[in-house]
Amino acid sequence: MFSAYIIHLLIIIGIFLILALSLNLTIGYTGLLNLAQIAFFGIGAYTSALLALQCWPWIFCFLLGGVLASLLSFILIFATRKLKGDYLAIATLGFAFVVYSILLNWTDLTRGPLGIPGIPKPKIDGLIFWPVNIYLILVIVVAAIIYFILHRLIKSRYGRLLEGVRDNEIGLAILGKNTFRLKYQSMMLAAFFAGLAGSLYAHYITYIDPSTFYLEDLILVLTIVIVGGLASLRGTVLASFIIILIPEILRFVDLPSSVLGPGRRIIYALILVLILLFKPRGIDGKVDLE
Amino acid sequence: MSIFLQLLINGIIAGSIYALVAAGFSMIYATNRFIHFAHGTMVTASAYFLYWLFVMLGVNFYLASLLTIIFAGFLGWLTYVGFYKQLKKKKASNAVLLIASVGLLILMENLMLLIFGADVKSLNLLEINKGYEIGGAIITGLQIVIVVSALILLAGLFLFVRYSKLGKTMRAVADNPSLANILGINSDKIAQISFALGSAIAGFAAILIALEQNIEPVMGLNLIIKGFTGAIIGGATSLPGSILGSYLLGLAENFGIWYLPSGYKDAIAFVLLFIFLLIKPSGILGICKGVKE
Repeated sequence: MFSAYIIHLLIIIGIFLILALSLNLTIGYTGLLNLAQIAFFGIGAYTSALLALQCWPWIFCFLLGGVLASLLSFILIFATRKLKGDYLAIATLGFAFVVYSILLNWTDLTRGPLGIPGIPKPKIDGLIFWPVNIYLILVIVVAAIIYFILHRLIKSRYGRLLEGVRDNEIGLAILGKNTFRLKYQSMMLAAFFAGLAGSLYAHYITYIDPSTFYLEDLILVLTIVIVGGLASLRGTVLASFIIILIPEILRFVDLPSSVLGPGRRIIYALILVLILLFKPRGIDGKVDLE
Repeated sequence: MSIFLQLLINGIIAGSIYALVAAGFSMIYATNRFIHFAHGTMVTASAYFLYWLFVMLGVNFYLASLLTIIFAGFLGWLTYVGFYKQLKKKKASNAVLLIASVGLLILMENLMLLIFGADVKSLNLLEINKGYEIGGAIITGLQIVIVVSALILLAGLFLFVRYSKLGKTMRAVADNPSLANILGINSDKIAQISFALGSAIAGFAAILIALEQNIEPVMGLNLIIKGFTGAIIGGATSLPGSILGSYLLGLAENFGIWYLPSGYKDAIAFVLLFIFLLIKPSGILGICKGVKE
């Protein structure tokens, strides 16, 4: 029983780690203040869940969730290419709200607020990923691959170019680099990973509804990234554990479930507000939030 | 024809509420230049404060309303002095202030959820709310009060910002903060006043909302999205612009559901917000370019 609880926590940490890593690629490394990441998470979850219910093989659902999120992120970044800083933040937040209200209102497709129950567990060639410990291994493998890809990416010349977009976009443009291309590539990769995280979430919980993909979970991911520090992958990993585990203390203090939910969100929001006030660079941040 | 009139009336009622939220938001935005997203919870907190005074303590309604407006102004002032000012001292960028503000919104929303519970509260002040018929459309007495009092307050606010010395100072800071500073205007003091005044207007909006609808912990987010969208449509730095934008938003939402399922009412606001941010971030009457250098 206790170990099942630990495994559940580790799976959730793994999924939010992927989401936070992808957000750090855009906010931390590329300097795009993107608040739409939770929408890409949701698009990945819904795409994957709906395809799986049409009996598509799991691996296609998983990848297509990422691909659709990635394609939509291109539309978003193309539309907002002239915006910066807090205006970009608000426009991407607006996009997240639009996606949320489509999930809520396109009832023929998404069943709206009722959500989608009975999402099948992933299978590959008859091998059923049902036991949670195998699912945990799947999540760890995906998170490790994504960490490795991002680690290699940011250490490469290309990673330096992304940081150039963040630090001095005009300078980079003068040097003849296509900064818009760098931006949309970073955004599309990040959205792809967020979509994969969404798919992992949907097939693990087996039930999704629009409320999971709204402001409150966005704050959770933002808190992880800011506590871990912008442009720090190690920090994000550490912060994912810290931020997801801290509210679990509430679970051991026998509280009613009506207190548990708000209590958890109060903790996230409080950590976010306090860290911005007292240690804005977080654990291992390399740059300030501009 | 009666449907048209009914939607027009509904649009004006919704627009009046949005305009009150947007006016306070715009006043704060113009003088501070960062997005005070937590403005929505000022409304929620004030509505619960009114509920606490009027329903739980049994205070006279008019006295409770007056205290609510004072409470809202104080809460806004406290938010600035205790929170934003501390962040600004550390040279926090607008992006940090925005994210801190969203964090504050979630924090306050969940605190109220914890204190008052998730169930909706209602004042039950007007038990029988008689409707009047105008050309086939129905408007209740309370709704007339809402529209008229909102219009009077907004007009007063407009005159205040346009003609009073303090209003002119505020507009000077909004127009050119560094020039205003050189001329010896204490921008910190103006920021404090605009937070207090803007939030007091939110408190007034809270009273009208508490009368007309139910009080819920989560309503602040929805209100700030609407108020913010109204402000962006009309021009966030301009008070008349924000008011105009909010009425346009109220009408667009209500006429929109003539064609769309009513669930899409909120989506209309989001889509309008998105479109205006992309095409005309300075809004219809905005005085400065929205895209940051």
